[in-house]
Amino acid sequence: MSGSRRVPRALHPIAWWLWAAGLATVSIRTTNPLLLLLILAALAFVVANRRTEAPWARAFGYYLVVALSVVALRVLVRTVFAGALTPSEHILVTLPQLPVPSWYAGIRIGGPISLEATLSAAYDGLRLACLLCCVGAANALANPKRALRVLPGALYELGVAVIVAVSVAPQLIESFQRVRLARRLRADPARRLRALRPLVIPVVEDAFERSLRLAAAMDCRGYGRAGAASPGARRVTGAAMVAGMLSLCAGVYGMWDPTMAPALGLAALTVGSLLCVLALVLGSRRVMTTAYRPDPWALPEWAVSACGLGAAALMSSAYGVWGLNPALSPLRWPALPAMPVLAICLAALAGVVSPPPPPSRRRAARPAASPGRSRPDRVSETVA
Amino acid sequence: MSGSRPSRLTVAGALAALSAVTALVFVTIGATPAAATAEPVGQCTTVSGVLVAVDFGHWGGPLVRGCGSTPTTGFALLNQGGWFTQGTLHDGNAFICRIGYAGFSAGQGYPTSATEACVQTPPANAYWSFWRAGPGQNAWSYSQVGPASDSPQAGTVELWTFGATDLTGVRGLPVVSPDAVRAYPPVAGTPAPTPSSTHPTGTGAPVSSTPAAATRPGAAGASPSTAAPGQVPGKAPGSGTVPAGTAGQQSAGAAASAARAAAPAGVVDALPATAAAAASGSPLPALAGLGLVVALGGAAGAAGAARRRRRTGPS
Repeated sequence: MSGSRRVPRALHPIAWWLWAAGLATVSIRTTNPLLLLLILAALAFVVANRRTEAPWARAFGYYLVVALSVVALRVLVRTVFAGALTPSEHILVTLPQLPVPSWYAGIRIGGPISLEATLSAAYDGLRLACLLCCVGAANALANPKRALRVLPGALYELGVAVIVAVSVAPQLIESFQRVRLARRLRADPARRLRALRPLVIPVVEDAFERSLRLAAAMDCRGYGRAGAASPGARRVTGAAMVAGMLSLCAGVYGMWDPTMAPALGLAALTVGSLLCVLALVLGSRRVMTTAYRPDPWALPEWAVSACGLGAAALMSSAYGVWGLNPALSPLRWPALPAMPVLAICLAALAGVVSPPPPPSRRRAARPAASPGRSRPDRVSETVA
Repeated sequence: MSGSRPSRLTVAGALAALSAVTALVFVTIGATPAAATAEPVGQCTTVSGVLVAVDFGHWGGPLVRGCGSTPTTGFALLNQGGWFTQGTLHDGNAFICRIGYAGFSAGQGYPTSATEACVQTPPANAYWSFWRAGPGQNAWSYSQVGPASDSPQAGTVELWTFGATDLTGVRGLPVVSPDAVRAYPPVAGTPAPTPSSTHPTGTGAPVSSTPAAATRPGAAGASPSTAAPGQVPGKAPGSGTVPAGTAGQQSAGAAASAARAAAPAGVVDALPATAAAAASGSPLPALAGLGLVVALGGAAGAAGAARRRRRTGPS
């Protein structure tokens, strides 16, 4: 890789999130298992090449495990609560079947499991797994704490809630690693299910505590302050924000639900976005912030976001292309449509065009060296 | 929690009870592939065969009707003699999302994949709704079971119509009555003799000569079987369920008439045709795709391994 000649630096977190959102858009559009596996491989490629040594950067592996269990669960539910069987399906195995009352007709519990049903559940689960892994890749690649700094000023009022919400998953993973290592050091013999309780409670408590500490640290730095705004102005801003968000929700629902008039959804969407922009402008006007150590947005950021968004655009242009949603009756090999493959390869290019991650400091490489001790200094350092 | 012993006992007891119940009620599904076959429409009478009609009027096409022998299922009727269906990825093959007939529109399934990907369950305003009228009945009822669980008696008429129907089946009724589907096209006084020959063109029934020629939407009006499309609604007054006028479907629900692009361009008989060969395709694209996945994944694995070496090596 030619990355060795470039200056290693951390990419702007928003660039990674844009890239992941683009790839998520690609994966929503297809149920072709080849394309979905290719997306997973592209995600793994970029994460393996460009993740840092920070604790949250190991998120991808955990997300991958969750994603695979989603596929397994989807297949299990589909095989146990199977729909009606058609004569052309290939039976894999026949389970004992529970009779169901007539008002429950159309759904079997147990009974024959067909290859078609299993495959369709696996394809469907794989798509959800891809979406999860896109979020996981963004979490692994982008520094969640620095991502918070780009929040618009008006959202500072929601700072604490947003911070707890956004940072809880990376914190959970970090806490999990620390608690597990601590248990191993103490040679705790508990295994499997019995080890769950001494693991879960400290992990949840620790993650929540750290999120609150982070929120407090941000509060110290002026996040969530009302500033010099009058109560009336604050109320107007808040009302506009809430109304705008509600209208956005209604609009998105209206756009997606085909039984509603599309004009209605579009109108709600427009009104909602206008209200939100208004609230953001009103709110930002009174919050003065200065940036210490600003994150630059330079050519690599443009390139990485272009890789993700370009992939999404290519995929949108391929809408309706044969092979995106393979039919399972009759069973046939999945096709490999060229345009989506090109889109995914473009997204994988982000692993090459982005600068290599900064070399790890010893402390970051060994996050669990002192598992019991809290480290408030790191919290304040990463926020500022 | 009061120790693990009682809980383990209860779990074991529950499992034992469950397995006993499942063993008791072990039911092997009667995998009896009903020997249903497609028949010429003339074979379907009030006492034999099941008529199935599919209304392609949403796309400006005709109402195509076919006939199948009993015992059969609603699903089998649409998967024989040139008919085919496609299910959704989410609900399986038995949820009918797309219907096509080899002799209509060059075997194109409707709705097309451009408008409906057949991945999720189709919306309630654009799906194939399933209507049935038992032997001797002239009123449609919205089927309470799926087509694969439906086993119609001889003399039943089944109809599939596309558009808006709510889950109770009150809106979006079919625009043709069951009797109209049964009776059309035999002309008054000349009940067609129905020889058991497999060549329906030899019968007196005015069936179309070749499916491909007669069932093209443009040609439908001119084909012999659709000589008088106006007669379809004309049969309706006796029914009372669907008083469809020639001008449209004023009383069949405003929503239905709004959703419908055009009234059925006549009734066309579906001859038993051979389905297109179900090719399983070439495994080459799949192999190429898997190769690409392995290449990218291998690159990722190599990068991960290099990172691990770097971390553990020099320190």
